[in-house]
Amino acid sequence: MTPETQIKVPEDYKKKLPRDVAIALETCVRCGLCTESCHYYKSNPKSDFIPAYRAEVFRRILRKKDYSEKSLGAMSDIAFSNCTLCRRCVMTCPLGVDTGLLMREARGLAVASGTAPEILVQLADTAISRGEDIEIFREMFLENIKALEEEVRQLTGDPQAVIPVDKKGADILFVALSGAHSIIPPSILFHYAKANWTLSFFEASNYGVLIGDKDRAKRIVQRIVDEAKRLGVKEIVVGECGHAYNTLRWEAPKWFDGGFPFRVRSIIEVMAHLIQEGRLPLDKSANPEPVIYHDACNLTRNGGLLEEPRIVLRAAVKDYREMSPNRDDSYCCGGGGGIIAVPEWDSKRMEAGKPKAEQIKATGAKVVIVACDNCRIQINDLNEHYKLGINIGGITETVVKAILKAVKGS
Amino acid sequence: MAEEIKANVTLNLEGLMCPMPVVRISKAIKDVVVGEVIEATATDPGVLIDIPAWARTTGNEVIKIEREGKIVHFFVRRLK
Ligand code: SF4
Ligand code: SF4
Repeated sequence: MTPETQIKVPEDYKKKLPRDVAIALETCVRCGLCTESCHYYKSNPKSDFIPAYRAEVFRRILRKKDYSEKSLGAMSDIAFSNCTLCRRCVMTCPLGVDTGLLMREARGLAVASGTAPEILVQLADTAISRGEDIEIFREMFLENIKALEEEVRQLTGDPQAVIPVDKKGADILFVALSGAHSIIPPSILFHYAKANWTLSFFEASNYGVLIGDKDRAKRIVQRIVDEAKRLGVKEIVVGECGHAYNTLRWEAPKWFDGGFPFRVRSIIEVMAHLIQEGRLPLDKSANPEPVIYHDACNLTRNGGLLEEPRIVLRAAVKDYREMSPNRDDSYCCGGGGGIIAVPEWDSKRMEAGKPKAEQIKATGAKVVIVACDNCRIQINDLNEHYKLGINIGGITETVVKAILKAVKGS
Repeated sequence: MAEEIKANVTLNLEGLMCPMPVVRISKAIKDVVVGEVIEATATDPGVLIDIPAWARTTGNEVIKIEREGKIVHFFVRRLK
């Protein structure tokens, strides 16, 4: 295959574009107001990093029907490695052009044409595989949860503490990520909140969404929806994962006729609610150092959780501070959209994370709380790369420290 | 006595969070030839499921995977 070889993609690709994508494609007036909003451009002001430039590359391919290996390869590289789908630029565009949405659509075209990064497609397929034949993995999963349950018992000092799995009639289906850090703190939280809950067999993250492939994305969500329906839960609570929350809360209900027969909340909302009702014993002295919160794009700007994390942290730590800018104006950490899973782009990812590193440094805080695993990996790496000298923790873990201090004195 | 598995490459994935263990294995498998074996240790217990699911997706073989306290120890053979 030469760079000029035409790749077979559906001829009517442009006609099939969803209406919001088609509108975003046609609306840009090239005013350039979005330029400074992008963290890539802020750390390296070159024209490749102007949001409207990225969209223009995609637009040109569709307009000219230029599906050559060279053009699609270049587009794929831009969509996957030069944009984290953070949507900060959307907030500054007077016409509301959604460059993040366009880049996700470009990713979908890259997947359809075989020019997307293989590892990201593999991660989506791995999640689908886990849902296709649960029985193969069930024993391993249960054995793992038993071991984690032992840790929960030790930490709470309660031999009756459990991590329920497959519990019919539970109110909450909690969907975690796969690591112990994503399962143990919420289990302790639910234990002290006396919640009627059960742990999902599936992980929350959805690489189908990140690669812009709605079919794969829906199949990954379907596993969780089927489980929630089978168990008859009243709500799904999503662990500390930005894109998983945004997907399950805002996007996925539109993919299913009639939406979901249960509500979806983030664990941050659950904690804020419990705190506002006075149902959590908390001792702030468990978290004495200055703390800042990183607004993950998919939780705050795209997910709408602006105040909930602040309600939680002000109740659980002694010295809460803000980064500037914050909330829906916060800079992306540079690790979103799946870029952390492609080692070839590590140096680009570190460069794009510079505005976030500078924001963190300016506060003088010693602890950064991150409620998204993707951002957590990135901020860990930024810590090393920019020698920030910070500790990084999860929000549930921080609350659980305050609970254990209040209940057990340690 | 259980037969000892001979590894061609050894990886330490301890301390890495999901999806990084899968990312590293996926990269390392390209650097061994078909039939060769990668041995790895990880601390993220999610690999107990993620690695077999990834192997199923990519057509490779998990020869053995087990928990040894907080460490997960596994062997993967490249099949294609
Ligand atoms: S979505 Fe974020 S990364 Fe992408 S162009 Fe806009 S500001 Fe830049
Ligand atoms: S601000 Fe909006 S209209 Fe102006 S160049 Fe950027 S995307 Fe186009």
